[in-house]
Amino acid sequence: MTADWGFPSDLDDVSGEVAIAGVGEADHTKASGRTTKQIGAQAIERALADAGLTPRDVDGIMHTPFDGQQFGADDYRAHFGTTHEMWTSTAGGGMVWAGSAPHEAALAIRAGKARTIVNVFSVAWATQRADMVGGPGEVHAAELFKQNLEVPFGWFPQPVYFATIARRHMHEYGTTPAQLGAIAVACRRHANRTPAAVLRDKPLTLEQYLASPTICDPFRKEDCCLISDGGGAYVMTSVERARDLRRPVIEVAGVGVGNSRTRTYWAQQGDFTATPQVFAAPGAFRMAGLSPADVDVLACYDPFTIVSLMQIEDMGFCKKGEGGPFVEGTTLHFDGGRLPYNTHGGMLSHAYVLGIAHVVEVVRQLRGEAAAQVKDAEIGVYGGYTGPQASTLVLRRR
Amino acid sequence: MTSFRREFPLPDTEWPPTREFWSAAKRGELALPRCDACRRWRWYPDATCRFCGSASSTWTAVSGRGRLFSWSVVRRAFIPQLAADVPYVAGLVAIEEDPAVRIVTRIVDCEPAVLRIDLPVRVVFRPLRFAGVRGEVTAPMFVPE
Repeated sequence: MTADWGFPSDLDDVSGEVAIAGVGEADHTKASGRTTKQIGAQAIERALADAGLTPRDVDGIMHTPFDGQQFGADDYRAHFGTTHEMWTSTAGGGMVWAGSAPHEAALAIRAGKARTIVNVFSVAWATQRADMVGGPGEVHAAELFKQNLEVPFGWFPQPVYFATIARRHMHEYGTTPAQLGAIAVACRRHANRTPAAVLRDKPLTLEQYLASPTICDPFRKEDCCLISDGGGAYVMTSVERARDLRRPVIEVAGVGVGNSRTRTYWAQQGDFTATPQVFAAPGAFRMAGLSPADVDVLACYDPFTIVSLMQIEDMGFCKKGEGGPFVEGTTLHFDGGRLPYNTHGGMLSHAYVLGIAHVVEVVRQLRGEAAAQVKDAEIGVYGGYTGPQASTLVLRRR
Repeated sequence: MTSFRREFPLPDTEWPPTREFWSAAKRGELALPRCDACRRWRWYPDATCRFCGSASSTWTAVSGRGRLFSWSVVRRAFIPQLAADVPYVAGLVAIEEDPAVRIVTRIVDCEPAVLRIDLPVRVVFRPLRFAGVRGEVTAPMFVPE
């Protein structure tokens, strides 16, 4: 298949310039009555405490513009009682930006715009769901081509799109429900060891998965992510400065971003069963001077099992189309699997906080302090995804 | 927070970029915009052609024949307006004129068990109606050939 349906973003080489010096997660819950900003504030407080920094030490903040409720510079100053200037960027947050924010931050730090930057993302979609507002479906229903050419036919919301993609993947490559189930089971097993995971107390076997009914076939409920209240934050600074802080230095070794020419219109994407990781991952590994074989732990934005499977293929951890057999059995398990994957449980079983907790988890793995710790993890990767774009973030313990 | 039209999820048949799609359906045709410069089908109907950049296109009827590209049998009503519709088959049809163009649609008048990828299908025109929503709109749907 010719890969002309997308393209990589042209990024500066920032390898080795910045480190993630602190990470924090808010409480991840079902509907909690909290607001998006309250959750963001808690995540930042915890990231600062982790880094050993005071609120005044942070002079840059990154978040996403997409729901208008994110914790920004004014919220930061009001919450922490400061009046200081802050560099701000809306090229941060979760999803694809949880992986690409370190590139933007490195450029800002290089240019002297900021020294220490926090990237934050939070959602209160579980709380908001009761009012039928917010959440992933609304964003898509509001898009007018989708509203007028997709939604009227019931090809909506995201579970239906990705079930359709999964069926096509099964046709093209022979992928089976049990192989999708292996991903759900591995993620749940990791969540069962992770105290902060929403589904920490709910086990899942492959037999239970296969015995459950489909909601939009070939998907079962367990192929689909949670809807949660929660969030996370991470603090970035120069590698040089990170050496003087209290935590181990987790360096940003490589960043890549890939784009789909058909944007968020999956129905028209040239390769229907691929993600823009095809265009993101090679640049990130090149920047890092590493290859997929070097990776000790992987965390991908995983709204659905098939999105995990496609990214694992598209990032080069196995050949395209061989993801099904690759993920069978214990491949993705933290304790001895060939590719420990979403070791906190991912969005299927940890929390649907859109990837920010994935980056937090990878950092913890590389520090050796994760709940489901991969032995001697030194190189970790986050795969970010939004549909129109994907990002690859390669992190390395120094 | 977004506010939706009261008729949601019926399409807005007056929205200019897709108005011709819905008016063609009303007279029993499946029509798509075709680029006047490079002659490729412009789906979805962006203002400019993503292949050649031309802004000029003409809505053109197609045969209505195609192949089933993929589908899902939707058993859960993800929005309340679809409560009376489940289970239904939502899917994509690759049109005969250019299989890279996929129409989002419903597959009707058949048991899901007969569906397979690349099944030849043809267009039919059926009313879209939703629980609790006033009005209806004629829409292109597909049946096995």
